[in-house]
Amino acid sequence: MTRRTRYFLIGGALVLAAGLCTGLVAYYAGGLGPQGPDLDELSYLPREASTVAYADVRSIMASDVRERLRRMLPAGEERDRLNAELGIDIDEDIDSVVAGFVGGAPSPEAAVVLARGRFDQEQIEARILQHGGTAEDYRGRRLFVFQSQREKSGGVAFLESDLVALGDAGALRQAIDTAESSEDVTDNAELMRLVADVRGAHDAWIAGRLDTAAPGELPEVIRAPLAGVEWFTAGASVDEAVTGEVRAETRDDLSAQQLRDVIQGGLAAARLVSGQDKRLAAVLGSLQVAGSGRTVAIGFALSPELIDTLGELTPAPVRGRGPATPPDAGR
Amino acid sequence: VSAAEPVRAAPRPPTRSRTPPATHAIARVFGLSLGEMLWSRRTIFMALVVGLPIVIGAIVRVLDVLGAPRTVGDVTLQGPAIFGLMIWAFFVRFVVPVLGVFYGTSLIADEVEEKTITYLFVRPIPRSAVLFGKYAAYLVCTSFVVLPSVMVVWLLVAPVGSGSLGATFPDLLRDLGLLAIGLAVYGAVFALIGTALRRPLLAGLLFVFGWEMFVLFLPGYLKRFSVAFHLQGLVPHAMPADSTLDLLQTLVREVPSLTESLIWLAAIEVGCLWLAARVVSTREYVLEQ
Repeated sequence: MTRRTRYFLIGGALVLAAGLCTGLVAYYAGGLGPQGPDLDELSYLPREASTVAYADVRSIMASDVRERLRRMLPAGEERDRLNAELGIDIDEDIDSVVAGFVGGAPSPEAAVVLARGRFDQEQIEARILQHGGTAEDYRGRRLFVFQSQREKSGGVAFLESDLVALGDAGALRQAIDTAESSEDVTDNAELMRLVADVRGAHDAWIAGRLDTAAPGELPEVIRAPLAGVEWFTAGASVDEAVTGEVRAETRDDLSAQQLRDVIQGGLAAARLVSGQDKRLAAVLGSLQVAGSGRTVAIGFALSPELIDTLGELTPAPVRGRGPATPPDAGR
Repeated sequence: VSAAEPVRAAPRPPTRSRTPPATHAIARVFGLSLGEMLWSRRTIFMALVVGLPIVIGAIVRVLDVLGAPRTVGDVTLQGPAIFGLMIWAFFVRFVVPVLGVFYGTSLIADEVEEKTITYLFVRPIPRSAVLFGKYAAYLVCTSFVVLPSVMVVWLLVAPVGSGSLGATFPDLLRDLGLLAIGLAVYGAVFALIGTALRRPLLAGLLFVFGWEMFVLFLPGYLKRFSVAFHLQGLVPHAMPADSTLDLLQTLVREVPSLTESLIWLAAIEVGCLWLAARVVSTREYVLEQ
């Protein structure tokens, strides 16, 4: 073997080795590519959180399809209420939102919503006190609690200068405790594996355990095929169009195959029922079922025209309801 | 010693076998052939074939840095999807079969054409060792060109958009394995064609761009007698499970299972190499004057 042949082989081997080492480091470090923004908010979510969700509000609000989405989405009563009670304008003041759910089905009582943005703390405090909220200091953080008639207490906590937490008062105290301790949701390896998969790829995403997150009151026809699903992720990217994917991980290959068959069958039936309705056919055509092994994925790509079509197919939302209603607190 | 005692012949010193072990013979042919293969005129062709995806990958990366849209129709392609499509379109469907044709058919045919086959066959080594040594050189030569090229393309393309090197690393490993298997199997098929036929290059090109493409669209079992069909069976297991896979599933109507594909590919590889070795061992090569 001549010297130049040897050099060539060594060069090829070095390129391969360098690439493999880079890939290994990236794989175990989870990076060397766009991985989405830092999520310091995760330090406030407890280790036993079953579901984590994120939305890049700033990107979504700046997207081309914002107006189309706005026409499709519900009237935004919660948004108006938040503005009236706290003086927080979701469109202008909030950059991103992280939500964590603890325990079973996602519900307001089990959720903590962490909003990062620009907040006028004095104005918000004044609004809260004006609406009957009570203030307290909890482990160095300012916490405001609304006591409702239903023995449920909602609250607002100022965690950092640009980070506000909303949720049940108990959940807020737990979030503050979690941040003070060294154990948070980032220690939950399985959940963080899913989060790492979706966080860099989408403007809005959710990841969690389906067996704890699925509402129990789902119809049997939907609940049965989902019985084998352990984990799920869903993500959407909003740009000129809305693209995304819903992905499920099942306990075994058989469950995944059954779920794929059910979805394929459902889509085929829907196409049959849609008949000559080209709008519905176009929406169904944007869905693609994929996945192998234990994974089932449904991808979608909604062009601006398809979003308009969806808006026509869904009932018109009721826009606004006049002045914001007074809060439960203090009644 | 009495005179009546028969004189015993002194034991003959053990004669040294003049035939080296087969593995040694294969290694010698491998070392000789590797340099010839690497620094032949075909190397320019090979550099062009594997350089093109790198150039395209670099263009994609530059366009991404400059903020150019990556939208095809309604779908915005991310790095992993672009990489998956490049692996499928460039490497699996073009680079691997073409390199297999050009290098595989030339293993023995070049020696015949240059009338140097006699010098190899008069050596005290099995004729099949010549074939196996040259086949090993082909595998190393093409693998050390194609796989680093894939690695560079991956480094360039995978991080495009929202993709990341870490997330696509398992897919890369599967792609490398898929391409290595493809090179090995195509090399064995064309080694057989190169040893058995008089115009092996033409026959090889007809096989790749005629039979393999045509038979995939035929119903029935005929497609099982092509390498491309079974390589396709490995592709869905290697491609990222996103829009790339969806797209490929629309292109590939029937996909065999992973196990079935691996068994068929192994059978083709072993069968073709065995047949090629038999042909080389028994055929009388008549050199044109």
